[in-house]
Amino acid sequence: MKLKATRSKLTLIPLAALILVLALLPLIGAPQSWLLYAFLFFIYLAMANMWNLLAGYSGLISLCQPAFLGLAGYTLAIGTWVGLPWWAGLLGGATVAALFALLISVPVFRLSGIYFAIGTLVVPEALRMVFYLWRPVGGQMQGAGAGYMIKGTGGVSTHLIYWLAFVLGIGSIFLMKRVLKSKLGLGLAAIRDNERTAASCGVSVFKLKLYTFIIAALVTGLSGAVYYLYQGYIEPSATFNVRWTMTLLLATVIGGIRTEEGPFIGTIVVVFLYFLLARYAGYSLLIQGMILIGLMLLSPQGIVGMLRRSRYYRYLAQCVST
Amino acid sequence: MMGSGDIITPLVMGILLGGLYALIALGLSMVFGVMRLINLAHGDLVILGSYGGYALMTLLGLDPIVGLVISIPLMFLLGFAIQKYLMGRAFGISSEAPLIIAFGISLVLQNANQILWTPLSRALNTSYSNLSFSIGLRQFPLTYLLDFTAGIIVMLALRAFLIHTYLGKAITAASQDKKAAQLMGINTKRVYGYAFAIAMISAAIAGVFLGMTFPFTPTSGVSFLTIAFGTVIIGGLGSMLGTFIGGIILGIVQTLGGYFFGPASQMLIVYVIVLVVLAIRPQGLFGR
Amino acid sequence: MSDKPLLRITNIDVFHGTFQALWDVSVEIIRGETLALIGANTSGKTTLLDTISGLLHPAKGTIEFEGKDIAWLDPYQIVELGITQVPEGRRIFPDMSVLDNLLIGSYNGSARSKKSQNLEKVYQHFPRLQERRKQIAKTLSGGEQQMLAIGRGLMADPKLMLIDEMSLGLAPIVIDELFKALEQIKERGITILFVEQNVRRTLKEADRAYILETGRVALSGTATELCEEDRVKKAYFGVEVCGV
Repeated sequence: MKLKATRSKLTLIPLAALILVLALLPLIGAPQSWLLYAFLFFIYLAMANMWNLLAGYSGLISLCQPAFLGLAGYTLAIGTWVGLPWWAGLLGGATVAALFALLISVPVFRLSGIYFAIGTLVVPEALRMVFYLWRPVGGQMQGAGAGYMIKGTGGVSTHLIYWLAFVLGIGSIFLMKRVLKSKLGLGLAAIRDNERTAASCGVSVFKLKLYTFIIAALVTGLSGAVYYLYQGYIEPSATFNVRWTMTLLLATVIGGIRTEEGPFIGTIVVVFLYFLLARYAGYSLLIQGMILIGLMLLSPQGIVGMLRRSRYYRYLAQCVST
Repeated sequence: MMGSGDIITPLVMGILLGGLYALIALGLSMVFGVMRLINLAHGDLVILGSYGGYALMTLLGLDPIVGLVISIPLMFLLGFAIQKYLMGRAFGISSEAPLIIAFGISLVLQNANQILWTPLSRALNTSYSNLSFSIGLRQFPLTYLLDFTAGIIVMLALRAFLIHTYLGKAITAASQDKKAAQLMGINTKRVYGYAFAIAMISAAIAGVFLGMTFPFTPTSGVSFLTIAFGTVIIGGLGSMLGTFIGGIILGIVQTLGGYFFGPASQMLIVYVIVLVVLAIRPQGLFGR
Repeated sequence: MSDKPLLRITNIDVFHGTFQALWDVSVEIIRGETLALIGANTSGKTTLLDTISGLLHPAKGTIEFEGKDIAWLDPYQIVELGITQVPEGRRIFPDMSVLDNLLIGSYNGSARSKKSQNLEKVYQHFPRLQERRKQIAKTLSGGEQQMLAIGRGLMADPKLMLIDEMSLGLAPIVIDELFKALEQIKERGITILFVEQNVRRTLKEADRAYILETGRVALSGTATELCEEDRVKKAYFGVEVCGV
């Protein structure tokens, strides 16, 4: 027994070391580009985990993520124009995203599977138009109500922003663990298995889906707001863009949909591909598209699916999950 | 610009434009009606048709409509292959697999086109592209009329196919009850292949007429996908006639929206209407 | 060889995902007979039919039709070999006409060339279908829909017809009509396997029967043998029923 305990602790050490290194990245003089990629990694990780929660665990294939992160980002931007401190803008943004999720949940959940996806596809497009036309406060970058600079971020150190992302990213992993083990997680598993049976067993399908939707919106929104805090400006066509969804979908599916480690691994791959193929944007996406297709056909559980076939990996996973 | 006099022009333009929208959406409607597949790659397949027409035009000097003679069989085969080797297998894998594979196809198409043709916008300009015709004192672009005509013809052709041919009836049956269709001896895998292939033909045609009406880029597919979905939602999935009417409605909503609220808000009004219809009656006007 | 079984199912296990629905099931059908499968809702009757029809495949065991192994064929291939199923709940194509529904029945290769003749024969069995041939299927009454479903099955020129819960939700008069039609179908030499919950009627019409309980064959034998079987009486009637 004692031996087993030591062994499991030992395997955790490299993982803990990695996390420590990542945490201290800004301080140990790592090059700016590394910081940027690590930053992106944590942002995407948080969002990918949320997408996995929705599409993988709740059967809600949401193409609506850009709406959440965009609304949160705009809340932040408008907040800074109105004089709110940036951190209030962050929290406000997350709240707005969650409220929006609540708002659209009523009509959108009445739609089953496919219609749900269509509905969530249209929402970001509509918001893009809205923010293109609407100018809630002064200032513009292009077009009528289009872009906003995010004010007052001069005083916020990039290190701080990096750590915010770090907390979000790592936090999302723990959040997923908590949710999946909780009553919510069990209910979701039941719904995924057979919705009607779950309902007849007293599982409130709508409520559970709603909770998931709101949680996902909150975290996605928060991550988006932090992203825009870093970027310093926000404008509609890049924000409410299906490219966000593509990235998250890629990360989750490549890693392994419906697995806990999937988004983590997938996000590494996606960020790595961006890094590697930054110069060849077109080819990068082409390859990602082909990977997506090949993966679904050959190893639907993504990389994690392939890894799980090795006993060593299974052992590792067991140690980490205790 | 608000409500300045002539409402007839935008109305007519809307109807004609609606014909193009319907043409784009018909393939999507059929595929969805039969296989319950959200083909996220549909817009990109239509644009593929546009680029196909462009290739034939620049390389062989063929008029795009004439070029269809070549591109239709090619698109048919491509469609059959996509269904047989990709989509067909996806259904057995998981509930999200078809969507994800369609997404992957979309990525591949967009970026392949981008590499081949650069992100520059292209257009299918023919000798008659800039002509206009007149109804009374008003002038309208000829291409719009061609689009509308093509839309009607394709809609009627698809409808006749589904109702009167044996394969068409099999496709219809498979869309109403897959298990029963299988029990009738219908090889659903092959029938789905044909359905997708036929949808591709309509996408090829739509691509050509689209290219003659508007300039297009490798990423144009996304906006037309949304329009196609909107059309299908309003008109009802699986009904060819319904999709056509849905297209007309969408076209009118867009042009009248632009007329009353300014051109910038056109698409927003369209999206709002689509969301409203989704909320109230997701199966559309003619859907089951 | 008239005593070589037309269909022989040997020791099959069938799963729905991870849930086992059939355990070591063996069934034989002899050419020309009328065989009944009796059992409650969860007994696995429909699973068995779906497995024969190729919608499901056994995890173990064999299924032989006319001596040929069919366990892993696709549904349309099974129809082509001569087995059609009239599914539970009829499952006619609701928005297609009666005629179209029937024509779809002849979709598979060999039956298509004979579709006019098959159609004639179906109209002979069910004249009402001919009257209503242009009507949209979902507007038919329950009994007419069942006739349509059976007619559709006949259009494929089957050697073996599987009929799942024919009398569900129908009035006794209608059920009588249907069984009379089944008699005529039998006379054409078509083998019939039908699944029912209505035991009494079933044992009257069938030559032999199998009783399924939670995925296993509990009893089998000729109708008379089963009638006399104590367990059947106790389990299903509590009283003597087969005294005809």
